[in-house]
Amino acid sequence: MSPLADRPAYMSNPAMRIIAYAVTALTLSVVHVVFLRFISVSSVTPDLLLILTVWISLVEGQFAGTLAGFTSGLLFDVASADVLGTNALAKTIAGFVAGYFFREGMAMQIIGSYRFLLIITLSGFLHNIVYFFFYIQPMQVSFLTFFLTYGVATTLYTTVAAVFPMLFVNRRQEW
Amino acid sequence: MRRFIEFVVRYKNYIALCTLVVMSFSFMSFGALSQLGGFRAVVVGSIGWIQSLFAWVPNPVALKSENTALRELNLQLSIESSRFRQSMVENATLRKMLELQPLTTEKLIAADIVGKTTTELRNYATINKGTEDGIKEGMTCITDAGLVGNIVGASPHFAVVQLLLNRDTRVAAKVYRTRVDGIVHWQGETTLSLKDVPRTFDVKQGDLIITSSYSAKYPPNIVVGTVRRVDNEPNSLFQNVVIESAVNFATLEQVFVLDRLANEERAALEGEVTTKIK
Repeated sequence: MSPLADRPAYMSNPAMRIIAYAVTALTLSVVHVVFLRFISVSSVTPDLLLILTVWISLVEGQFAGTLAGFTSGLLFDVASADVLGTNALAKTIAGFVAGYFFREGMAMQIIGSYRFLLIITLSGFLHNIVYFFFYIQPMQVSFLTFFLTYGVATTLYTTVAAVFPMLFVNRRQEW
Repeated sequence: MRRFIEFVVRYKNYIALCTLVVMSFSFMSFGALSQLGGFRAVVVGSIGWIQSLFAWVPNPVALKSENTALRELNLQLSIESSRFRQSMVENATLRKMLELQPLTTEKLIAADIVGKTTTELRNYATINKGTEDGIKEGMTCITDAGLVGNIVGASPHFAVVQLLLNRDTRVAAKVYRTRVDGIVHWQGETTLSLKDVPRTFDVKQGDLIITSSYSAKYPPNIVVGTVRRVDNEPNSLFQNVVIESAVNFATLEQVFVLDRLANEERAALEGEVTTKIK
């Protein structure tokens, strides 16, 4: 039995799925900006929108994932008062790369396994390379040092945070 | 046209990627224009409002790190405050000492006292300047308050001062007001004594005692102290003048060494005459 078989009926409607993703992205943006300070470790927080982007790429495909990455990135740029376009660019690339792992009808199996974490790690690395490259432009700091400190830490924290959706899907598959 | 549509459909992922990357760069280049204006300002304002609603929720991790940072800051400020107080005291002392500079024609060598030794009523102080700084045996040490002693030994970087509070020290001095001469010495009390002053000579409490030009060892007109009291012993022709030293030796930290030595010609002549008389 497909793990998606018991999902709500509205989820089979593409328009409704887009709305659901948009609402989720909006909620995660607010959660990220407002609440993630509570779980930040040395200013490092998990990137929840990146997890959503990778999820969309694995469920909907590369094209949708790329668009989702751009949209969610732009949303985050607006919400976080960051330089407009930096998160959009980084998440576009992350969504595009994650899209290479899209397999028709296999989305939940991938998300419910350790492969999801590997994809998150890979996408996270690429995302953070692009993001921090532009992030440190106005600063007099070494990109390599900054990336090895914050980029790697953010990627690892995001991977840890991705364990929760992975376990959630994994449990649903077992049901 | 059909081939174009097929091309677009086939490479839609790459076309989408390129388009969105270009759009992202466009947003970045317009970043300055779209900083916090219009819609964005509303969004950031709304987010700020939501954040303020949850501002009361304590963040244990942030509180802990803030607490640590504040403790470190507190420690740093305590150290700085202590240094600041010490500097203020030093500054006041040095300022007073600098006022001495224009009052003397001799070159002054500033030094810090780095040690004090006492052996059988012989008090010495070690200063952190030596022969390499121009210090020589026989030079006089003073402060802004008055006479401290004279140099009795010097190494390249240090010198030993025989203090006024030393039973071997003898200073030819006089009463500033009446020019009455005497010899100042110390016998272990908290005060100095001016000996050999006849009972009939005019010395009063509060009189200033200065070094006399009779001394070959010390330069004249340096303050030694003030008369605290005058003791008239019944069976003596002389009066004992008790002097309070102008220098507080208990808190002495900095001194000046006068770059002046006793006149060798004078010392040689006086020595020669003394030998002839004997």
